[in-house]
Amino acid sequence: MATDTRRDLILAAMIRVVGSKGYRETSVAEVIEEAGTSRTTFYKHFEDKHECFLAAYEMLVERVFAEVRASCDGERSWLETVENGLAALVRLFSLDPELARTAVVEVAAAGAEARQLHWNAVARFAEFLEDGREMAEGRELPENISLMSAGAVSGLIFDELLAGRASQLQAQLPDLLFAMLVPYIGPRAAAEEMRRVADAR
Amino acid sequence: MRIVARKGYAATTVADLTKEAGISRTTFYEMFEDKEACFLAAYDATAEALVRRVANAFESEDGWPRRVRAGLAALLDALAEEPDLARLALVGVSAAGPAAQRRYRVALQRLTPLFDEGRDFAPGGRALPANTSRMAIGAVAGLISDELAEHGAERLSDLLSDLLFATLIPYIGPVAAAREVGANE
Repeated sequence: MATDTRRDLILAAMIRVVGSKGYRETSVAEVIEEAGTSRTTFYKHFEDKHECFLAAYEMLVERVFAEVRASCDGERSWLETVENGLAALVRLFSLDPELARTAVVEVAAAGAEARQLHWNAVARFAEFLEDGREMAEGRELPENISLMSAGAVSGLIFDELLAGRASQLQAQLPDLLFAMLVPYIGPRAAAEEMRRVADAR
Repeated sequence: MRIVARKGYAATTVADLTKEAGISRTTFYEMFEDKEACFLAAYDATAEALVRRVANAFESEDGWPRRVRAGLAALLDALAEEPDLARLALVGVSAAGPAAQRRYRVALQRLTPLFDEGRDFAPGGRALPANTSRMAIGAVAGLISDELAEHGAERLSDLLSDLLFATLIPYIGPVAAAREVGANE
């Protein structure tokens, strides 16, 4: 087996084990068992559990990002783009609860560097929202409006995942959509979008 | 809480705690099962004090936007007074495990009634999603944590307008929120 593939197997295993057991309770032994590799292979690629987790987290962010971006391709309006992106994120999280828990909840327990990676990822998703400023029709929105929007969404997702309700995340999509849109288009229009999406399901 | 704020949760030992408190190990274990139980109790007490301070400031004003502004200002003041504690309460808490994270979210949700008044204030506010207050709280907590993680507690008070704006938005929309923020400055 090529070494790159083994490394990827270890990273994928790290995401699954942390997602089910929690970061603090995860041991290198469990990760290599899940990955089906040897301890030697693990330490050839990584210094320790923490370094492996950071690499795994970066891979996770790229994967989630690629999936969200793919769902936005070819859409015309800002509204359609961000609605599809959020729906893709929620779908991915609800289909893979372990990945979701690692991505949103457990990352916080893995130290300052890991938390920084998480902030960076949230900020990257927030950039998707930046074009929403045009929806405000010339009114000046605060500089960090996209962080308010992304912060409200990620807080709601965090609560659901912490309560172990990843599989029910899809049902929350209308509310998440409202939270994401409201800073840009206001409560009335956001509630309309919310009802439209709820009815369409 | 003081020691954990300084050393981090993982590096703090029960011995550190008994030394700082000037009590014996036996006394410690009479009161708490382990380090985590002690931390959770301390966390709850800190959160309780914070929530009460915010609620008192909120009650001292009339009119929902002014009440919210006073509550948020009190929150920022409290956090700025004890920067290490602030960082622990909002950012570092997650290192102490899922039980502590849950306590953090519960503490945040105790602010819900303050935000829910926005439903009465906003035209059509009763028709807003049930989660609206949770969203507003999430946005506020996100902005504060972000600031604490990036710049520490020094410039926290500069956040007040943004926090007020983020709170008002889900209820009254960006235009009215900007107007209220401007009127209250």
